[in-house]
Parts: sequence; C-alpha cells; structure tokens
Amino acid sequence: MQAFGAFAERLRRSTVQVFSHKERGGGSGVIWNSDGLILTNSHVARSAEMQVELWDGRRFPARVSSRDPRRDLAELRISASSLEPASPGDSSTLRPGELVMAIGNPLGFAGALSTGVVHSIGALPGMGRQSWIRANVRLAPGNSGGPLADARGRVIGINTAIVNGLGVAVPSNTASAFVSRGPRPALGVTLRPARIGLEILDLEPQGAAARASLRTGDILLMSFDDLSDALDSGRDVLRLQFFRGDRTRVRETFVRLGARAEAA
Amino acid sequence: MTNELAALSQELAAAVERAGRAVAAVHARTRFSSSGVFWRPGIIVTAEHTIRREEEITVTLPDGRNVPATLAGSDPGTDVAVLKADWSGDPAPRASTALVPGNLALTIGRSQDSGVNATMGIVSAVSGSWRTWRGGRLDQYIRLDLTLYPGSSGGVVVNTAGEAIGIATSALSRIAGLAIPASTVDRVVDEILTRGRVAKGYLGLGLQPVVLPDHHKGLIVLSLEPEGPAAKAGVVIGDILVSLAGSPVEDTDDIQTVLESHPVGQTVQAGLLRGGAAHQLAITVGERARRS
Repeated sequence: MQAFGAFAERLRRSTVQVFSHKERGGGSGVIWNSDGLILTNSHVARSAEMQVELWDGRRFPARVSSRDPRRDLAELRISASSLEPASPGDSSTLRPGELVMAIGNPLGFAGALSTGVVHSIGALPGMGRQSWIRANVRLAPGNSGGPLADARGRVIGINTAIVNGLGVAVPSNTASAFVSRGPRPALGVTLRPARIGLEILDLEPQGAAARASLRTGDILLMSFDDLSDALDSGRDVLRLQFFRGDRTRVRETFVRLGARAEAA
Repeated sequence: MTNELAALSQELAAAVERAGRAVAAVHARTRFSSSGVFWRPGIIVTAEHTIRREEEITVTLPDGRNVPATLAGSDPGTDVAVLKADWSGDPAPRASTALVPGNLALTIGRSQDSGVNATMGIVSAVSGSWRTWRGGRLDQYIRLDLTLYPGSSGGVVVNTAGEAIGIATSALSRIAGLAIPASTVDRVVDEILTRGRVAKGYLGLGLQPVVLPDHHKGLIVLSLEPEGPAAKAGVVIGDILVSLAGSPVEDTDDIQTVLESHPVGQTVQAGLLRGGAAHQLAITVGERARRS
C-alpha cells in the first residue's frame, strides 16, 4: 500500500536523532512544535547538554528544559524555526489491533520504519498505575524517544522500552500533558527495590529528597506503587519513613515537593 | 490515500474487539498467565502446555471478573486443554472461508492487567493432516508468521473478520507458532467432554520395518506386550505385519494412522505373514496407559 510509505516519509521529517555530548550512542526524538520543542525519553536525555540532528542532516545543540523520569519523558529545546512538527493523535481512543508504525534510529540506522499492531493498552506490572501502549513492532536500542504513529500518521506514543520483545510506548496524551503542564512531582532519586522498601542509589543534588536530607543508601519503607500514588496525590509535603544503616530504627522525614528548580 | 490504511486499521481493531469478547486469561502457571477462548458456552479451550496445575485454576473473563475454572481434560498430543467456567457470554464465531497462505491472521489473548491483546502476521503455510511430535494429529498444518509473546499461547487465531481459525500454540513447532485447527479443537473437545480424556489406541507391539523377498514392505514383530491386545489375538514374535484394517502398512506411522480412525475397543483385521504364509487375525484395539 502506497499510503504506508507516504505517512512514513512525513513522519520521518518530524523525527530527530538525539545524541548526548559525551558518548555517540543516542536515541530518537519527535519534533513537537515548529519552534524547536522536541520530545524524547528522559533516559535518552541523560546530560543537560545534548545534540539533535534533523532528518536533513542539520545539527543543533539542545538544552534539556524539562524532565519527568517517572513518565520517562524529557523536553529539549533547539534554536530553530519552521520545523515540521508531528501531528499528535488521541491515544485514549486507541484499540488493540490498530495498525501502528514506529520511526527511529535503531542501532544507528537513521529513519528506520517498523510496523505492526497495537498489542494492548494498560498498566505494566511494577511500573505504577499509569497506562502504557504495547505494540508488536520490532524495536531496538535507538528507537527510544521516537514516534509511534497510527494508520493516519498521527503520533499516538513515544517509544520507550522493549519488554519481552514487545515495544512499550508512553501514550501521546501523557506526552501532551507533560508538555502543557510540566513534569509531575518527583523525589529526584534513583531507586532500586530492596528486600523491604526501596533503596536510594543516587540523588539529584537539588532534588526534593536531597533537600530533605535523605542520603544514598537510605531505604524508603514503601512500595513503588505507594510512592507513585503519594507523589500523584497532589500533596505538597510527604511524610516518608526510612531506614538508615540501623535496621531496627524507623526514621522519618518530611519532603517538600512544590516547585522544582529545573535544570536550566 | 488516507483511508485505505485507516480503514484496514479500524477493521483489524473491530476484529480484535469482536473476537476478544470470547477470550479469557487463564491462570494455571506461575509468572505469566496464558489465554483461552470460549469455544462453546461455558467451555474454554486453551493450550495444554500452559496448564501447569490441575487445581486452583482461575480465569479472567471477558468482562474482567476473575472466576474459578475446572479442568475438564486435556490432550497433550494436540496441545488442547478444556476448562469449564461459569459464564454466559457467546463463544467465538467460527471462520467459514478456506484458509490460504498469505491471509492476514491475528492472535488475540487477554491478561488480567491490560485486557485484550493482539498480534498480527500472516498465515505462512497451510497443508493437510499433520502429526505433531507429541503424537497427536492436527486436521491441518497451519503455520503462522507472527510473534507469539508469553501469554499469547492458547489465544484465538482469527481472520480479519474476527472469526476463529484455531488456537495459537508455540509448543508444537520449534520454528513457528501454529494454529490448532478449529475442526481438531472440536473433535478433541467432544472427546474430552464425553469421556474426560482422549484415548490413544494401542496394539502392544514392537515393530521394525523390513523389505520382503518380493520387494514389498512390512513390519516384523520384535517384541510383544504380554497380555497386550496383539498377544491376546494370537500374534507371536517373528510375524510380519503387512496390512491393518485393509490398508497396507510399511512403517509405524501407517499403524498410527489406522489407530487414529479406529477407536479403543474396535476390532481391526491384521494381515500377517508367518513362515511365508498369509494369516488374518482380529485384534481388539486397546488403550495406551497414560503417562502421569
């Protein structure tokens, strides 16, 4: 069918390659508006200074203007205008079985297309209550941050991960909410499930957890889903219980979420 | 140009929705659930290899409720298991058109967390009756070129109208997923519901193919199950079996083919050579003991 090729070509012009300054390995991104707003995964935009390459080969330095690690989304800004933005679709009307296509830079092949159907839509075990799109499209490292589009070429998701061979994407409505309302509250920590609770592996220097004097190695006494719910509850201050070293004494701290000092 | 593709997309989603109304998630193993389909009212068919326990099986119904299910029986040979669950919804609609290689096919499953799921590909090969490595017989060999994810096995394979072609299984072939044909599923379901199991016929003979002096082929009896069906009929070691139920037999597959059409308890005429002379014996087909 000719249409697939035509849609893919248009989508390719709205898809970029994203490189972090240090290493060459990168991911993909989607041009969200014509004035240089680019959406990608938070795990792709690791450093504050990034590079973006357009489909026509032009390369721009990019600044990470916002980041939401829990939804794995990040916003990049480049100094360019008259870009060709992708047209977002409504991910809430998506049904299993619909045709989808993914464009990205898997394993360094720029602008590669893969196609398939929506496999399912819903929560992923152990990833909180938010909804994800799963699709039977073949993805590879480098597809991350690139678009997943429907049969009309409208972007309905941002490709994020591969789980049991299935492509997993952040729904476009979640991405739109991130662009219009900014990141959801976050602790600013990297966590790993421990035997009980969640161990803090790393803290952002000015993150909410760091400001509440939590440290690397502390163990938060809650599950990942509990933490997600607490962060999404709308409260400004969370009371967190944790262990520090001594596993017989439960400690407590108050974390003020509020306005986050974004990496500028 | 748009709309051919968008129309196909909507047609596929509608097929998934239609067939998905009869698809359940089956919880009968640890980690991943599998899928099953309401084949008849209150009767779920799934892939036998995904059933790892006989008790405490639950299913997630098309309406999202979790209910207990009981195992009515299973047939490892065709990888079909039959469950009973209390649900009044309609069973999956059946495909009536003939299948050819290249037809689009979808496998539809269900999981408790995210509901209906679908994968798409094509039918890559269709051929006649085929014996599985597990010893069962499928009425057709239907090979699928689509990805079966963990949890897809036991789901229903449908055409673009959402009509059932068969049941998806990854356990019958090393190279591809297969669809257990609808007619085979019907036969196995009938047998399990009437008898609780699929009985396998057996003669109690150890046989080896041999070439006869006249260049015909036969099967020489090397061993005999004492008190087995053949022994009771008077077969002795050294006899050469040349026909069974009127058809010539040249290898052990021929024996299996005859046994598939002669249920346990039926009597078959065996033609054999003993000391160069032709004999006819009537053997009553016995039932092979089930491995536990």
